[in-house]
Amino acid sequence: MTSVLRGDTARYIASRVATTLLVIVGAMLLLFALTVLVPGDPASALLGPQATPEYARRFIAEMGLDQPIHVRFFRFFAHLSVGDFGTDVLTGRKVSGIILDVLPYTVILTFGSIGLAVVLGIPLGCLAATRPGTVLDTVLAVGSVAVIAVPGFVVAILLLLVFSIWLDWLPVLGAGRAGDLGDQAVRLILPIVALSIGWVGFIARLVRSSMLDVMGEAYIRTARAYGLPSGMVVFKYALKNACIPTLAVLGLGVGRLLGGAVLVEIVFARPGLGRLVLDAISTRNFPVLQGAVLVVVVLFVMTNLVVDLCYSAIDPRIRRGG
Amino acid sequence: MTAPLLEIRDLHLRAATQRGSAHILRGINLDIGAGRIVGVVGESGSGKSSLALCLLRLLPSNITELSGRMTMAGTELLGLPEAQFAAWRGGRIAMIFQDPMTALNPVFSIGTQLVDVARRRFPALDTKAARARAEAMLGRVGIADPGLRMGAYPHQLSGGMRQRVMIAMALLVQPDLLLADEPTTALDATVEAQIVGLFESLRADFSGSILFISHHLGLVAQLCDDVVVMYGGTVVETGPVGSVCADPRHPYTAALLACELEDAPAENDGSGRLMSIPGDVPDPVVTQAGCVFAPRCALAEAPCEMPQVLRRAPDGRQVACWKAVS
Repeated sequence: MTSVLRGDTARYIASRVATTLLVIVGAMLLLFALTVLVPGDPASALLGPQATPEYARRFIAEMGLDQPIHVRFFRFFAHLSVGDFGTDVLTGRKVSGIILDVLPYTVILTFGSIGLAVVLGIPLGCLAATRPGTVLDTVLAVGSVAVIAVPGFVVAILLLLVFSIWLDWLPVLGAGRAGDLGDQAVRLILPIVALSIGWVGFIARLVRSSMLDVMGEAYIRTARAYGLPSGMVVFKYALKNACIPTLAVLGLGVGRLLGGAVLVEIVFARPGLGRLVLDAISTRNFPVLQGAVLVVVVLFVMTNLVVDLCYSAIDPRIRRGG
Repeated sequence: MTAPLLEIRDLHLRAATQRGSAHILRGINLDIGAGRIVGVVGESGSGKSSLALCLLRLLPSNITELSGRMTMAGTELLGLPEAQFAAWRGGRIAMIFQDPMTALNPVFSIGTQLVDVARRRFPALDTKAARARAEAMLGRVGIADPGLRMGAYPHQLSGGMRQRVMIAMALLVQPDLLLADEPTTALDATVEAQIVGLFESLRADFSGSILFISHHLGLVAQLCDDVVVMYGGTVVETGPVGSVCADPRHPYTAALLACELEDAPAENDGSGRLMSIPGDVPDPVVTQAGCVFAPRCALAEAPCEMPQVLRRAPDGRQVACWKAVS
């Protein structure tokens, strides 16, 4: 049976990894199609109407846009497969270098926020679920709905106003001096809180409702009938079941957070992928835009792969499905 | 006769429902002798499962009244504070539930669940010793290759296997009283026979008492020493299972016996059709002054409008019917 289990798990992991790779390739295809389908061509979009025809022609040749479509297609994939995202036409820097510079800021902001949302949201949800109908439950419900409803950038501005300007406890803007980890960590506090607070409320609500469902299950009655301590019943026997729907939402949540990070990055004047995408759009910087979007896609699908694998680790019934 | 392990006196249970206050148990009187297997029979809705849940004090939140006395080994269980009673659950009292498909946690291996229960009962055990005990118990209840099955999850086991796991869990805590709430109802017939066989084999090495709840009188006759016939939240007849089945004194017991498949050709009307009792079980929301069974009883007469209580006959059997006693 143990060997059968391992076989199932291996098959499941293999199928999830394959699906993930397919999604990434699909995203690449779409990005390529974008450069082809966009009205006009990327070069003239980038240069604007003022460029001389001669300059535009040279520019198009530099970007390889004068080649036939299948050549461009293969070049695109050949370059991407070795991690070459092309060159930023405005600065002449490698796009991969630009992205790698800002990537850590976004990754730590996004996953720090997810982490905070989980660490706060799950216990709050359990707290509410074990005391349904009490004052505490109601207060948590109202608080959760309030923080879910307020957009992250509004929270960001409020936090800045209160903690940085009125109270002067935390620094105002920027990501901190390079190499000074303490400074960088302090400057992460407000952005992470701003980005995650809605998710704290959301996860607390989600955990509460799935917890209440689970607490009515027969196997919880069994655990009680055998006198298991209530802490063990709630945080071991019930919570592991209640986590399953929460986990599914977390995978999607990473995508929403990557999107939400843009606004928070702008408000706090932090470098990051979101900001990079925004700047690339406003300057019509196609290679940078392509590279940044692709990295966001990869981050998103890889996180969902990890979520799926966590899923199968928590719920043994999923391993069979494959 | 030695003092019984468990004495239940005038046990009442009421619950608030949307239709009003439901009187689920209407004054239950019941003794369970030490080491006896006592069968509780009755139709669905007669209060059998509620009785078992009362014994564990594991009732839903809409209960408005739980009164009477439940005395086990000299301790009054209903009067115990919750903190003290908690030690009885999975300690001196253990329960096997009706539906093994939902009674085990789907996301933990059965080994984990058995070890947690064993260590809660015997805190001195370390995990390794608890695992060894659980494994031995799985072998005892007829699960092949118990070492490997410890790592299995409930969905990997059949219904019969899961019920064996539940029985192993109950035996693991070495209870004085084992409550089995229709443990075979959710299983198909061949598996049911195996589980009944397992219960029969328990007599050899399980010294506690068993309260075996079933709607199947034939099963109770096969397995139990004593039988308690419940109807509408009351006990209508009790006694040794052999004499009750051979000579039912309450009309309801007689009707239940007539409904059994085994007796069909001899006791029924000869048409080959199974007999059924006309009418429905009493509505727990409606209070009833007289005999609870009178509305469905073929022998009902004017005195049946008076309340009927259990009366002990000279041979020790108890019946709640004036006709039987007089």
